[in-house]
Amino acid sequence: MLARGVVRRFRDGDPAAVRTVYRSYGGLVFGVAYRVLGNRALAEEAAQQAFVKAWRAAGTFDEERELGPWLATIARRVAIDVLRSESRRGGDPIDSADDDDPALTTQPPSAEAVYEVWEVRSAVAALPEDEREVVRLQHFEGLTHAAIAERLGVPAGTVKSRSHRAHKRLAGALGHLQ
Amino acid sequence: MATSDDDRIAYLTGEDPASLPADERAALDELRGLLADRSTWEEPRPELEDAVVAAIASEVEQPHAEARRRVRGQRRGRASRGIRRPRPRLAMGALAAATVVAVALLISQTGGGTSKRPLQFAMVVSGTPLAPGAHGSATLTKTASGWRVELAASGLPHLEGGLFYQAWLKNAAGVLVPIGTFNDARHVTLWSGVPVTKFPTLTVTRQRADGNPASSGLRVLLGTIRAAH
Repeated sequence: MLARGVVRRFRDGDPAAVRTVYRSYGGLVFGVAYRVLGNRALAEEAAQQAFVKAWRAAGTFDEERELGPWLATIARRVAIDVLRSESRRGGDPIDSADDDDPALTTQPPSAEAVYEVWEVRSAVAALPEDEREVVRLQHFEGLTHAAIAERLGVPAGTVKSRSHRAHKRLAGALGHLQ
Repeated sequence: MATSDDDRIAYLTGEDPASLPADERAALDELRGLLADRSTWEEPRPELEDAVVAAIASEVEQPHAEARRRVRGQRRGRASRGIRRPRPRLAMGALAAATVVAVALLISQTGGGTSKRPLQFAMVVSGTPLAPGAHGSATLTKTASGWRVELAASGLPHLEGGLFYQAWLKNAAGVLVPIGTFNDARHVTLWSGVPVTKFPTLTVTRQRADGNPASSGLRVLLGTIRAAH
């Protein structure tokens, strides 16, 4: 949760407040955009646009609400616009494909799916660094506990206990997704 | 209840407790899928922070920004979707794509003289807005086995870790034929079983190894033979 007054200063375009909002939510906004677009460069562009759109619309935002879900909604919408815009682009007469061209067919994830990404990123970000790394290596890189221990240079028992603690925290934070 | 929680956590850590019901297993598999998803772990470049601050500062400094915001606020009441303004970088990309000169040269053809050379075309390929810095060329040669497509393009990153490039040939009706996958576009040999004279457009898409063989639609390179016959 941001300190009181940050949203108001963000709305005013105060660069320090913009940085504060970005540092709190930049990764999450980027993650949502990445989930929709599957492309780093486009996700960064969509994230930038999302923050600009959020600034433009900040006058309508109720400071008592949590900023995150509102930004997630904007990020998803902007990312889908970018996706559609990119999909429609052609380069020459032969390539002026219809929207139902199989080369252009993409289905953006649902709002629910995107919000799950947001929640999982939030929960992962809240883990202590050493536990987060174990979770990343296990799930994203697909390593076993033994391989993680070797990678990190720690005993296998340490990896196992970190993994257990981390997943206990995640299960608690994301119980509603299970 | 405590046992059940322990089972769930054990399943998340990679164990396989036999007592865990199938429906809970399925729900936890979804969570495991999210934890394995790139979008959970990928981070933007540090430069994005400055870009966001600069973009908003630029809007703040525009002389009629407040008036525009008020208008947008009014429009938002009439339409659920926001105003879409041209994005400078993408607009540049679109312009570049629109002006792509996909040059095709009939380099050589079966000659009337004593030496017979293979039917061969050359093509310039250009980056799309997804890869505006990419460019290169392709040579397309008819052989007894099919058409050999030799692509050499720079400005595209090496892809791995479940990501790869896929090349396609496309005809005027929009039918796509895959001609190969690769990680690095700097020097690639691809093969086509359809004639490039009938499928004169070459595209390269960025793909993810997710079991879906269809094009991702994320085209990064594009070129067309115009003079093919």
